[in-house]
Amino acid sequence: MTAVGEAALAPVKFPRRARRLAMLNAKVIAGVGILVIFALLTFAQPLLEATIWAGRGNVYDPQFGFDTTISHPSAPSLDHWLGTSSLGRDVFSMFAHAARPTFLVALTAGLAIGGVSLLLGSIAAFRKGWADGFISHLSDAMVLLPAMLTVFVLGIGRSNEEFGALQVGLSFGVLYGLGPATATVRAAAMTIMVRPFMEAARVAGGGGPWIVTRHVLPHLYPHAAVQAMIGATGAVIADAFLSFRSAVGEDFGFGQMVYDGITWSSLMAGIAPPPWWIMLAGAGGITLLAAAFYLLGVGLREALDPRLSGDRVDGGIVTAADGPGHFR
Amino acid sequence: MNEAGDAGRRLRVPWFVTFLGLRLLWALVTLLIFLTAAFFFMQVWVPYSWATQFTQSGPAALAAVREAVGLDRPLPEQYADFMLGLARGDLGTSFAGGSVGDVILEALPITLTVFIGGTVIGWVVGEMLGRVGTWGGSRVSGSVLSVLGVLSAAIFPPFLVYLLVRWLRDPLLDLRELIGLPRDSLDLWRGAVTGEAGALTPGDVRWLIALGLVAALGLGMVARSYGRRQQLGWVEALALPGTLLGFGVGIGLSGLGPHALDLLYRADISASTGRGSPGLALVGIVLISFGQVMLVMRAGMQAERSEDYVLTARAKGLTERAVRDRHVARNVMAPVLAGSFLTFPTVLAGMIIVEYELEMDGLSSVLFDAIEFQDIPVIMGVIVVLGLMGVGFRLLTDLTIASLDPRQRQGRA
Repeated sequence: MTAVGEAALAPVKFPRRARRLAMLNAKVIAGVGILVIFALLTFAQPLLEATIWAGRGNVYDPQFGFDTTISHPSAPSLDHWLGTSSLGRDVFSMFAHAARPTFLVALTAGLAIGGVSLLLGSIAAFRKGWADGFISHLSDAMVLLPAMLTVFVLGIGRSNEEFGALQVGLSFGVLYGLGPATATVRAAAMTIMVRPFMEAARVAGGGGPWIVTRHVLPHLYPHAAVQAMIGATGAVIADAFLSFRSAVGEDFGFGQMVYDGITWSSLMAGIAPPPWWIMLAGAGGITLLAAAFYLLGVGLREALDPRLSGDRVDGGIVTAADGPGHFR
Repeated sequence: MNEAGDAGRRLRVPWFVTFLGLRLLWALVTLLIFLTAAFFFMQVWVPYSWATQFTQSGPAALAAVREAVGLDRPLPEQYADFMLGLARGDLGTSFAGGSVGDVILEALPITLTVFIGGTVIGWVVGEMLGRVGTWGGSRVSGSVLSVLGVLSAAIFPPFLVYLLVRWLRDPLLDLRELIGLPRDSLDLWRGAVTGEAGALTPGDVRWLIALGLVAALGLGMVARSYGRRQQLGWVEALALPGTLLGFGVGIGLSGLGPHALDLLYRADISASTGRGSPGLALVGIVLISFGQVMLVMRAGMQAERSEDYVLTARAKGLTERAVRDRHVARNVMAPVLAGSFLTFPTVLAGMIIVEYELEMDGLSSVLFDAIEFQDIPVIMGVIVVLGLMGVGFRLLTDLTIASLDPRQRQGRA
């Protein structure tokens, strides 16, 4: 056992070095970049409507817009940067607006996954005994009940008001959090409980809640964050599929755009070329946003793996026990 | 080590017997929790039931329907019924009247073919790309692989299906003609359609394909790992293609070749050509499942690259290939396998979407139809079957990990 110094007793924040690496990882940068672009787009569209497209009425409204001067669907042009949909809406406006509910889905799913997995994972590791037995069996069992499937069971055929972004994100997050996320975070927590600084914290007279919040949880945040991001990827795709499946024409999610394009091209098969711009905008939006969260998750996981950084012997914060075994 | 394990050692029982015993016990407990969770999820959380369709007919009619399908009984009683039924292998009766087991059994061969085939091939492709593409690959090829991996994990399955049907439809139709299959699938199955006695039905051939493919893949994987263990490069390389080819030749010799090929890529005169084809679904599932495996494998290979034993192996004069495959890859494999179980649910959902969008008449069609008709016993049946498949998959990965790494042979979760 290593010497129990003051350094070991100090509360461990999100390891500084890991944070620095996370910033440098190309995957993380790409993920953040995509998210920033989408965030800017959602703000840019109303701005454009108020300035460049001012005086054209509600032609650029993502829901009720209709350009009476051309026939629809129309290919990308100077007036409509990404073309128009079969209902005559401006695809660029739809694209910019569809990112909002998707962000909400990812956010609620990520928070739910983080919350559930941190709570259960730390309880299992700290309480051990039957609590751990129950939690690990529960998470093993919930892995078998795929979150996406259950969200389909809950959401297909129900309107947006009844089962919208918030509900999708929350139910996906809770189910994914109980399953794979808890399994991963629990495994990480188990390896933390046997490390010397835990002994030190106990010797120092720390009570349960204090040890958990100051010494266990900070080590688990990165693991929970990785799970939250990878879970958010699934939630985005699940939400898009719900929007694709229960498309009724009034809403304008990414999935609905793909549906619009596919339906139109099968209706007009042999008569008109498929409106690739609608499909590509919808599928591109889903894939880019899902990829952003996935990149964040994978990049974070790689950034936190000391063996991938090249300079792992630097005498300090990241020790062998922080190794990659816990990140898988 | 617990008692069973110690006893096993004294009696010199092979490790995998006690291991499997303990894992089966684990699987049983996990299944019990899973079934309970799934049951209460359906009964408590899901806001609809068969009866809600009759809400507009008035409360009396609603109560009558609830009573007719047994929804008015107390929850514990329904739960006990459900579990006892499962113990007898009975999945219950669909609200529409038929046996859930029959509905699922009819859809199962397609799903087995597509899911197991797609997962295994996707896994092998991802593992190989991650192993070979990472070791000694250039920066550019590495970036390309990373982008492909992320795309594979993030693509929107319905769009992928659209692209597959659009791009592969005509080439595959030409291929059908090239190998002498009729332009219309119906020509091959006329006997079954007209109800001729003893005629070959698609269902029979589907089962044959499913079981044959699963057996061929299983045999191929075993031979492959045997080849790797015994350092027989050619066995390792030829194992999977060999068994798959053997399976194909076997079907060809049995005289069912045209029928089996026709089922792999359906064709009919209507515009939906290419739909319902396990061949296309397999391609789609491989495309959505290889990425996650490849990325984890890549990260592992990169991490191990700077380990001391790699230097030792090189200093011994081993070839790069031997270092990569026999030393590094084996160290990386166990965590990749363990991780692949956790990503399995996501991939499974993707597979379900692909199967559904291709109108395969597999479990996904059963599931989505049941959701539409709010037929809870059928939804439960599909969830149970998928859960069983998941447990089987988990047992298989655990066994593989244990055979790779003797430290994992204690049999505890």
